[in-house]
Amino acid sequence: MSTATVHSATHVHGHEEPSGWKKYLWSLDHKIIGLQYLFTSLAFLFIGGGMALLLRWQLAYPSTQVMPSGDVGNPISLPFINPQFYNALFTMHATVMVFLVVMPLLIGAFGNYLIPLKIGAGDMAFPLVNELSYWVYLLSGLVMLAGFFVAGGAAAGGWTSYAPLSSVAAYNGTKLGQTLWAAGIFINGLASIMGAFNYITTVVNMRAPGMGFFRLPLTIWALFITAFLLLLAVPVLSAAGAMLILDLNFGTSFFNPAKGGQPLLWQHLFWFFGHPEVYILILPAMGMASDVLSIFSRKPVFGYKAMVFAMFAIGFLGFIVWGHHMFVSGMNLVLSAAFGVSTMVIAVPSAIKTFNWLGTIWGGSIRFTSAMLNALAFVAMFVIGGFSGIFMASTPVNIFVHHTYFIVAHFHYVLFGGSIFAIFASIYTWYPKMFGRMLDETLGKIHFVLTFVFFNLCFFPMHNVGLGGMMRRIADPTAYEHLRALQPINQFITLAAIGLGFSQLIFLWNFFRSLKHGAPAGNNPWEGTTLEWTVASPPGHGNFAVTPTVYRGAYDYSVPGHPRDFIMQNEPPTSESVHGAAPARRSVPTG
Amino acid sequence: MLNLIRHRTLFFLGMGMGLLSTAHAEIRQTSVWWLPRNVTMFGHEIDFIFYVILILTGVTAVAVFSVMIYFIVKYRARPGVTAVHSHGNNTLEVIWTGIPVFIFLALAIYGNEQWTQMRLKTPPADALPVAVIGEQFGWNVRYPGADGKLAKMTASSVTKENPFGVDAADPAGLDDFTTYGELVFPVDRPIRLYLGSKDVIHAFYVPEFRLYQDMVPGRIYDFVWLKAEQTGQFQLACNQLCGQGHYKMFGKLSVVPQGEYETWAKGKAPQPTAAKETSTVPVVMADR
Repeated sequence: MSTATVHSATHVHGHEEPSGWKKYLWSLDHKIIGLQYLFTSLAFLFIGGGMALLLRWQLAYPSTQVMPSGDVGNPISLPFINPQFYNALFTMHATVMVFLVVMPLLIGAFGNYLIPLKIGAGDMAFPLVNELSYWVYLLSGLVMLAGFFVAGGAAAGGWTSYAPLSSVAAYNGTKLGQTLWAAGIFINGLASIMGAFNYITTVVNMRAPGMGFFRLPLTIWALFITAFLLLLAVPVLSAAGAMLILDLNFGTSFFNPAKGGQPLLWQHLFWFFGHPEVYILILPAMGMASDVLSIFSRKPVFGYKAMVFAMFAIGFLGFIVWGHHMFVSGMNLVLSAAFGVSTMVIAVPSAIKTFNWLGTIWGGSIRFTSAMLNALAFVAMFVIGGFSGIFMASTPVNIFVHHTYFIVAHFHYVLFGGSIFAIFASIYTWYPKMFGRMLDETLGKIHFVLTFVFFNLCFFPMHNVGLGGMMRRIADPTAYEHLRALQPINQFITLAAIGLGFSQLIFLWNFFRSLKHGAPAGNNPWEGTTLEWTVASPPGHGNFAVTPTVYRGAYDYSVPGHPRDFIMQNEPPTSESVHGAAPARRSVPTG
Repeated sequence: MLNLIRHRTLFFLGMGMGLLSTAHAEIRQTSVWWLPRNVTMFGHEIDFIFYVILILTGVTAVAVFSVMIYFIVKYRARPGVTAVHSHGNNTLEVIWTGIPVFIFLALAIYGNEQWTQMRLKTPPADALPVAVIGEQFGWNVRYPGADGKLAKMTASSVTKENPFGVDAADPAGLDDFTTYGELVFPVDRPIRLYLGSKDVIHAFYVPEFRLYQDMVPGRIYDFVWLKAEQTGQFQLACNQLCGQGHYKMFGKLSVVPQGEYETWAKGKAPQPTAAKETSTVPVVMADR
C-alpha cells in the first residue's frame, strides 16, 4: 500500500468524497471524521461543563441547607437540584467528560486527523469502520444522556457505578437510567475498539517509505500505544457493563451478595479498565504536548527514545496498578501493599517525561504562541497532578485522603490541567491545518490566561478542603458540622469555576469566528517539520498527491549550518549529515 | 417578602462568611485550610508520611517550576539567537530515572511498613470489639456487654431483621447492646471494628481519626483497629456513595474517659440475664 507511488488521490482508497454538506455526514475521509469527533466532543464538553457549574452551585449554596432562620434551602440555591439529581449530575458529568469529551477529543479527533497525515498515508486502513466508529460514539452519547429523560432520572451511582448500589434497582431507584448508562458504556466501548484496531493497523502498515518507527512523531507513538491500551482494557469494561445490565434487568446476580454475588468483582473489573483508562486519557496528551513544545522551542524533543520507552513503561505498568483504587475497599491487604509498590514505580516514567520536557525547552528559542502557553501549562499542571497522586499512592496516607476532595483536586489537575490544556495546545496548533485559517492570537492568549488563573483558583483549594475532611459526592456539605467552617472555601471555588466556565466562551468565539475571518494559514504556519505541514491547509481528499518519502526524524529543528531552523521530514539529505534517529527501515523507492 | 430581603442581606454577608448555622458544632481547632486535628495513634504515622511526601514534592515542585520559569525567560525567542540543536543526553536520562526510582521505592517500602502495622498485624487482644453495620442511610452499632465479647457474626446471615448476622443461640451475645447511629469509644483503649453492610457499600470515615474503610455487603471486615488518644465529639460520615440519602448519612461519635464509657454502656445494656462466660470467639469472615 505505502509503496504505491503516484496516483490520483480519489483512487487511493477506493471511495469518492460526498459533496457539499453531505461530506460532513457521510464522508469516509479521516479528516472529516476527525472534525466530526472534534465538533461533537466540544459540544459534549460544554454540556459536561454546564453540569459542573450546577454541581458547584449546589455545593456553595445547597438547596437542602438548613438556614439559621429555619428555612430549608439557601436563598440563592437552585431548588431543582435535589440530592438525587445532584448524584445524577456528578455521575453524568464524569461519564460525559471521560467517555464523550477527553477520549474522543484526544483519540477520535486528533488521532483521526493526525495519524494518516503524520505518517504520510492517504487515509486510515479501514475508512468505513472509522466512520462507523464515529456514529457509534455519537449514539453512545445520546443513549447516556437519554437517562435524564426516563423515569427515575439518569444513573446516580457515580461514574464508577459501584455495585450493588448500581446493580440492584431497589437500592438506586434509577433502574432505567442506570441501564442506559451501562448500555452507553457498552456502545462507547465498541467505538473505542473500532478506532483502536484501525489505528494500530494504520500505523503498522501504512507509514510512508522511510518512516521507520523511530522516525514517528511522539504524537503518533502516543496514539499507537494508547490504541493497544484501549484494545486490552475497554473490552473488560464492556463485559462489566453487560453484566450490570443483566443484574439490573434479567435476574442474574454477579454483584449482589444477597444472592451470592461479589461487590468487589465489579470494582476489579471496573478498575482493570479504569486505570489503563487514566493513561488512555493522558498519553495522547503527552505525545501532542511533546510535539507542540518541540515546534515552538525550535528544538528536537529531548531524549526522544527515552520518551518512547517511558510511554511503553506507562502502558505496561498501567495494567498492574488498578488495585490502588481499592486500598480501602477491603481487598486482600497484602495485595494492596503490592499495588502500592507498582503504583510508586509507575510514577517514574512520568517523572522521566517531565524532565525531558524541561530538557526540550532548555536552550530553545521559545515562541510564546497560544499553543505553546497551553503546552507549558500542561507540563506545570501535570507536575502538580502527578505529585498529588503520590500522596494517594502511599497506602497509609490513602487511608486518610481516600474519597475526599483531595482526589477530586488530583484528577482534575491531571484531566483538566493535563489533558484539556494539551487539547487546547493541540487545537491552537492544528486548527490552521484543519481549517486553513489562523486562530486569533490575542483572543487565544486572553483565553489562556483566564483559563490558567481560574483553573488554579478553582481546583487548588480543593486539595485543602479535602485535607480538611470534605468527602466527595455529598450533595450538601453544610449537613456536616465539621464541614460548615469550610463553606467559604467552597463558595470561593464555585466562583472560580464560574469564571473558568465563562472564559471558555472566548475560545468558542475565537474558534467559530476564525473559521471565516481568521488569517489564511498557508501550508506550514508554525514552521514544523512533520508531513502534515507539507500539504495544503486543509489537505485535500487523499492527503498527499504523491506519497511522500521520509529521509529523517521528526525533530530536525535548528540544525547547525542549515539556512532555516527546521528541515521537513521529506527533504532529501543534502551534503550535510542527516539528523534522524534510526536508519530507514524500508528501502526508499526510486520511482 | 421580608424573608427575601433578609435573605438577600444574608447572601451578601454570607458570600464570604460561609453562612454558618448556629448548630453546636465542635469548634474547629485548626485552620480551615489545613488538616483537622488528629486524635488516633495511627494518625501520627499517617500525618508523618503525609508531611514527608509534602516536603519531598514541595521541594521538587519549587525546583521544577523555578527551572521552568528560568528556561522560559532565558530561552525566549530573540532575534539572531538560534536554539541549541540537541537530541538529549543519556547521562541525564540515567540520573533522572535513577533518583525517582530510589525515592519512590523508599516511599513505597516505608509506607508498606506502616500499612503492615496498621492493617496486617492482629489487633491487640484486649481491644474493645465494636460492630458497625451500615444501611441506607444509617448505622447499626453493636457493643459487647460485661463479657467483652460480641456475639458470633457471619456476613452471610446479615438480613434486614438481623443486621449483625448474629447467631441468636450464642451466649456471648446475650449481654450485647445496640445503638443506632451512636458510637462512644473509651479513650486510650484499643478498639477493634467489625465493619459490614446490610445493602450497598458504605464507608466508615472520620477525618480526625485519619480513618477511611469501605463497608461491603456480604463481608464483615475485622482488621481495622484504632486507639483514640484524645476525647471529643466527632462526626462519623459515610464516604462511599450509597444513594439518595448518602449526603446526610452521619453518626455521632464521642471519645470519652473510660469511666464515662462504662457509665454509658451500663445505661444502654439490656437487663442482666446471666451471661455466662463461654469460649466463643467472635470470629468473623474477612478477606485477609
